[in-house]
Amino acid sequence: MNKKTGLIFFPAFDWAISPTHPEREERLLYTRDQIFEEGVMDLPQIHEYAPRLASLHDISRTHFCVPMVQSQVTEAHLIAAGSTLQLGDSIVNGEIRNGFAMVRPPGHHAMRVVHGNRGFCSINNEAVLVEYLRRRHGIKKIAIVDSDAHHGDGTQDIFYHDPDVLFISFHQDGRTIFPGTGFTHELGGPGAYAKTLNVPLPPGTGDEAFMYVVDNLVLPVVKDFQPEIIINSAGQDNHYTDPLGSMRFTARAYADFTKKLQPHLAVLEGGYAIETALPYINLAIILALADVDYSNVMEPDYWPGRFKESPERIAQVQRMVEQLLESWANKDKVDLPNVFGNDKYYQRKKFIYYDTDYIEEEQFEKVRMCPDCPGYIIIKSRGERGYRAPIRIYAVSIPFQACHACQSEAYDIYEQAKKQKECEYVYMQDKSTDTCMYYDKVKGQEWVTEG
Amino acid sequence: MYIGIDVGGTSTNAVLLNEGLVRASATVPSSEDIITSLLDALDRIMKGVPAELIERVVFSTTLITNLIAEKKYDPVGLILIPGPGLSHVHYKYNTDTFIISGAMDYRGREIIPLNDNEIEKAINNLNARGYKKVAVVGKFSVRNNKHEKTVASKLASLHPDWHVELGHQVAGQLNFPRRVVSTMLACATKDKYSFFVDSVQAALSRRGIEGAVYILKADGGTMPLNKVSGVPIETIFSGPAASTLGVQALIPPGETAVVVDIGGTTTDLALILSGQPLLSARGAPVYDNLTQVRALAVKSVAVGGDSLVERVGKEILVYSERLGPAFCLGGPMPTPTDALRVLGLTRLGSPKKATEAMEMLGQPLGMSPSEVAQKIINMVIDVIVQEIEAMFIQWEQEPAYRVWEVLQKRKERPDMVVGVGGGAAGFITQIAARIGANPVIPPYSPVANAIGAAVAIPTIQINLRADTEQGYYTIEQEGYQGKIEKDPFTEEDALLLADEWLKKRAEKYGLGNAVEKTEYTRRDVFTMVRNWITTGRIYDISVQTPRGIIGHIGARGGFK
Ligand SMILES: [Zn+2]
Ligand SMILES: [Zn+2]
Repeated sequence: MNKKTGLIFFPAFDWAISPTHPEREERLLYTRDQIFEEGVMDLPQIHEYAPRLASLHDISRTHFCVPMVQSQVTEAHLIAAGSTLQLGDSIVNGEIRNGFAMVRPPGHHAMRVVHGNRGFCSINNEAVLVEYLRRRHGIKKIAIVDSDAHHGDGTQDIFYHDPDVLFISFHQDGRTIFPGTGFTHELGGPGAYAKTLNVPLPPGTGDEAFMYVVDNLVLPVVKDFQPEIIINSAGQDNHYTDPLGSMRFTARAYADFTKKLQPHLAVLEGGYAIETALPYINLAIILALADVDYSNVMEPDYWPGRFKESPERIAQVQRMVEQLLESWANKDKVDLPNVFGNDKYYQRKKFIYYDTDYIEEEQFEKVRMCPDCPGYIIIKSRGERGYRAPIRIYAVSIPFQACHACQSEAYDIYEQAKKQKECEYVYMQDKSTDTCMYYDKVKGQEWVTEG
Repeated sequence: MYIGIDVGGTSTNAVLLNEGLVRASATVPSSEDIITSLLDALDRIMKGVPAELIERVVFSTTLITNLIAEKKYDPVGLILIPGPGLSHVHYKYNTDTFIISGAMDYRGREIIPLNDNEIEKAINNLNARGYKKVAVVGKFSVRNNKHEKTVASKLASLHPDWHVELGHQVAGQLNFPRRVVSTMLACATKDKYSFFVDSVQAALSRRGIEGAVYILKADGGTMPLNKVSGVPIETIFSGPAASTLGVQALIPPGETAVVVDIGGTTTDLALILSGQPLLSARGAPVYDNLTQVRALAVKSVAVGGDSLVERVGKEILVYSERLGPAFCLGGPMPTPTDALRVLGLTRLGSPKKATEAMEMLGQPLGMSPSEVAQKIINMVIDVIVQEIEAMFIQWEQEPAYRVWEVLQKRKERPDMVVGVGGGAAGFITQIAARIGANPVIPPYSPVANAIGAAVAIPTIQINLRADTEQGYYTIEQEGYQGKIEKDPFTEEDALLLADEWLKKRAEKYGLGNAVEKTEYTRRDVFTMVRNWITTGRIYDISVQTPRGIIGHIGARGGFK
């Protein structure tokens, strides 16, 4: 194990949602100070890479941006996503053992359809990476573990029907925090049942319960799944000083978690205790990835034993873990038609609120229940933005594992949708051939991008 | 008229420039006593020129760098205040090191106080071990120097005769381990540097030269010689910068070029991108350690004309060691210089001996002398070409922390390969052919380093960091920390304050006229929001005089 740990540090010192928004220039300033002063980038175990831009096609392969990619991304988004792709390349071609994309802006609340910014996110960096790794490097099975205090609802949405992506999110209970989702019954669609696991933790949960979840659920399930690559959505707002969350994790616990999980790639998500948590957690994660002693990294106001876990909370978490382990163990025995019905399509209706941009989205999602592949997905979505006219889109997504029948059926549906009058924009995302199309009904024009 | 002098370990080069033309140049062996070789060099280039006409003399030197490399300096004890963070086992610097309690955070707030007993114990220990030089460095001392100063005053009260160097005065940029190395070296070399300055001044005054005297810094800028006694460390790596600036002056403006300086056992590479020498993203390296000294990006490759060549089994290997001069010059073993002689690419030494050297290597393999020679040259060129490519890639892959920095990333490849130094001639054409560029060996290339010194201009810069919430600002280069008097303190105020300090610093070094033109290389503003209200701003401002050279050789118009 003499390979290095790759780092991309992209603090975007000239980008903010607004000057006083939590997602502003200052966010990684003290992290920079800490890691630069420690001389971390000079350690022989570390290799620092330059950020690069993701292409618009890289984004289209993952998202349906309304009406088009350029209207939802800034250059900063392309750099944050591109930086994770850079580290992905470096891992696959063997230059580094693992990596940490310490980038802004974050992405795990960005869903498949993007009408605007949700939870400070527009583009899902991890999801863009997953689709890229599949397309560019032929990687199939990927595990994503989300350690942010907020439910990784965007990532869940994008891989809900994907049997080859294991998504585990532990977070503060959705009844007490944005985005209000991520409960244990959200287990994935019919084709990917129990490949989504959510652990909603009670507010106030500390290191002991955190480690319990890691040791008893995360590690065994990930091991059992046998992914080719493990990604950590490294949100840091579970820290005891975070102003948005109410949890009590320490920097030390984040490092222990990293050391145990051994992710190939950690991607920074949330974390808004920019002075009291981020410099210490980021440093600790880097050292843990690089296999360097992190026991001397400590928050100035922390002392061992500062937080004591209540027995009731531990018991509650233990019950939840047991229940999820059972779901995982029985995933192949479940009577799926009984749960999801026996129709040609499985469908669900979603309401999505964009807290940053005040957009209300109403969405119908239909998945083709196919015996030969995960099935294509059809989405009808309507985004309501205040006084402006709502925007309606129709989108078809073909998974990279699609069977031939699904693929040709999906193209017929796309062509039909272009003829109908209902929606302003029609999309086709064919991951099996890496072709993305987008049709503007008013202009009567179609754009195609290919990888 | 301008004089440039490069004082190297083996030879001293000097040039006299007059209106953009090289009026005279000389190379003399460096003697043990610097004054002798300086006088010798001055006399050779100043024949018939009255001393009053000399407006300016600039020196560059590798002497101090060599002292460091050979570890010929007095021992320096370390007192470090690293606090929490990286494990303390990382702080091993091959000298007695005492780690004491105490810590500041990234905004200069004290998080762990000093412990008087530990300070005293450390000092007593250093005394018992015979140290008289001490470097004191604290983590984040750049943001708050209180701890370093407290230790220093304790040292001063107990041992007023000791030489103490403080981290925040030597280098102002964040990077604790590099600051430790820089401070230690500054402490170690101060006496030797003063000796160099005295010798230079003695030599000049003996020849009646009264023009301004400067010394080149590692970043290619100059400082007045007598003013840098404070922090000589910035000047100690000036040797490679001198050759690079020399090439910059010898080629047309705006070119992208690789500078290849092939010496006996090492080849130094540097890049000139669109006419401007590339600065290193890291501080200058001293063997295994990085310092926090701003320097031009120079890569040293361990292969040169005198590298030892040997046959091992069926292979021919080029080693990085030197066993003596080339075989054709009476040395014990074959070298690349012998190969060049056989191929007719140099006229050095005996052709018969060179052929003999190649036969020694080639006969057991059934290769003719010219085949062996070509193979050796190809191997040397392979190594150099790979390193050139790696340097360009490294430059392209330098980190960027702002959106605009990522967007303006360029990709460039050299138009020309410029050879300087004694060994260049034989290799340059082939290196250039390999990377698809034009080979250039400029006139005066053997004294390019002295030309570089002669054309170098002063550079000064100031990094200001103001934290309005805490109400103080620091000036990195000065180790100064002061109160912010104005409220509110705007970005405009921060820019003005930075300008003011640049002027102050210029005045201090007698460079008042250098600050007519200035440029901001960084102006970051961070709004601080705490508990949902804006509590202050952090301003990061860098202002400097433009980098450059007086003019190009042969281009009269460029010179004053
Ligand atoms: Zn979050
Ligand atoms: Zn199918």
